[in-house]
Amino acid sequence: MLTHFRSFFLAISSLLLLSVATPAVSAESTFAENKYVLQLSDMDPSKQELILNNASNLLAAYPPGQVEVEIVAYGPGLRLLFADNVHNKRIDSLAQSGVKFAACGNTLKGMTKMLGEEPKINPAAKMVPAGIVRIGELSKQGYVYIKP
Amino acid sequence: MGDNKQFKRALISAACAMAFTAAGSAQAANWLMLQGTEDPASASRAEVWGFIQGKYEKDFSDANATGGYVPPKLLGPDLDGQDGFNINRARIGVRGTGFPIDSKINYFALLEMGNNGITSSNGAFAKLTDASITLNHIPGARIRAGLFKTPGSEEALQAIHVFDYINFTEGANILLNERQPNKSYTPCPVASPTTPVCNAASGNVGPYTEAQLQAGAKFDSQPSPVGAFRDVGVQVFDAFDVGNDWEVSYAAMIGNGNGIEFSNSDGEYDKYLYFSAEKGLDGGRGGRAHGLKFFGWGQWGTRLLDITNDSVSNLKSYDRNRAGLGVKYLKKPFRVTAEYVKADGMIFEGPDKTNWYFTGPANGNGSDAKAYSWYVEGGWYIPKTKWELDARFDTLTRNDGRNDQHRFDKWTLGAQYHFNPKTRVTVNYEIRDFECNSGAAVCNNVNANLKGVDNRVGVQLTAIF
Repeated sequence: MLTHFRSFFLAISSLLLLSVATPAVSAESTFAENKYVLQLSDMDPSKQELILNNASNLLAAYPPGQVEVEIVAYGPGLRLLFADNVHNKRIDSLAQSGVKFAACGNTLKGMTKMLGEEPKINPAAKMVPAGIVRIGELSKQGYVYIKP
Repeated sequence: MGDNKQFKRALISAACAMAFTAAGSAQAANWLMLQGTEDPASASRAEVWGFIQGKYEKDFSDANATGGYVPPKLLGPDLDGQDGFNINRARIGVRGTGFPIDSKINYFALLEMGNNGITSSNGAFAKLTDASITLNHIPGARIRAGLFKTPGSEEALQAIHVFDYINFTEGANILLNERQPNKSYTPCPVASPTTPVCNAASGNVGPYTEAQLQAGAKFDSQPSPVGAFRDVGVQVFDAFDVGNDWEVSYAAMIGNGNGIEFSNSDGEYDKYLYFSAEKGLDGGRGGRAHGLKFFGWGQWGTRLLDITNDSVSNLKSYDRNRAGLGVKYLKKPFRVTAEYVKADGMIFEGPDKTNWYFTGPANGNGSDAKAYSWYVEGGWYIPKTKWELDARFDTLTRNDGRNDQHRFDKWTLGAQYHFNPKTRVTVNYEIRDFECNSGAAVCNNVNANLKGVDNRVGVQLTAIF
């Protein structure tokens, strides 16, 4: 009886572990055949609009579900993902359409030190330890690297 | 003082009316925000920008019976000729967020190097017209400090490089673009070969004949630059999205009341209030954003005049109050704007010897006179072309109710060709009807001089960078 209970417990635990682990894996993997990583590290405000236009155009160029786009912002480009950025509505809209946004943790630490307080980041963005590393990882996964 | 209260009551009524309008539903070219703030987290550290405006104008006015000309028949700012080329504006500026990761602080600076009332009066090669810092730390109460355009009339507050005409309305020129008096009395000069008829009996400066103008006679010897619709002070302002594409804005400011000069010589401060409610409409950007805007404003201040022609400083303080209401609609292909302005005190009467004009009883005594003006203008952006047609009617009643009451009516017909969004050519033809219309005897001499005021044509090229 005790053995049966142990087997049942192990089976349930395994299922739970699998269910928790699965999204993490799926977040990194994609069935889309076309994958793009866009880098924004410039101070120039016009680049913000340009990179959002790039993302929109990529979404429009492929049938739904057949393209993955991730914008990685670091350095001065991280301003795109500040919570008060003027393009917030558009970022939210793109996020809802499937575009992913990655905010560089290293840059955030540096800016926090300079500013004296941590800048608020758009909730649509996912924090990553280092923007440049994130671009490297995505490149290994087959993402096409673009820096507008 | 009673009129001052009336101004305030009218403004408050208008503001309340607009507040109700906005409450039901409250956004477009919002000059308070466009000039005083930057896009959060998306501004440059230092964006260099500016514009150049060059023009040719010809005035078809005739001299009076004795061959003399008065200022409305001559071209500013120099008022010594009837046709010619001028670089009337050449401005370069820088604006942005100095510390780009902190959107809470931004700045704006602009330098004027063209030949106009800002630079010509004191022989300045260049003059600072804007230098301000905005602190955006308090929600609903942004603070802008420094030298900048005062909250007021749409014609005055809007960015001049998107202004659709070459010249201002007479109301904006006479009532709003302030000419400051001298610190000490500027008398009507003793008659001389270049000022032949300036004396107490004639009560006038000029008219000057063409030969006298060419020999050095000057109408325009203003001691200070024109106010350029600006002041040095502190403004609290903000704009609020109240839903359904409506935006309401307010601004309250105190300033020196000395235009673009950095001093407060009379020790008193001018007060400014502004409210607007805008319905944002699809299309357009920045200064040409589409929308329907209602606005009301008031400005209250005092000016100190030395009123006697002697070595003793006999200073007297006069009120200078201005208020206005207006509406602007822009959705291409159409644009319509209408404004009404009321003025009490310090009514500009002439380009020269300002203290004398403000206080000289024989010629207007503009220091405590009243005036009002209004205009309606419209534009049609011809679809699928780069052409735009404009038309404007403006009228000014100066010295309202007095023996020397003047009425200046002007039609301006215009066409603009937009080479690209930053470069355009503007052609204006002005049909002018200026007269002293009180019927009093004093009008006879004035109208003898104004009789020949005729039409004026201008071509202006604007390049923004």
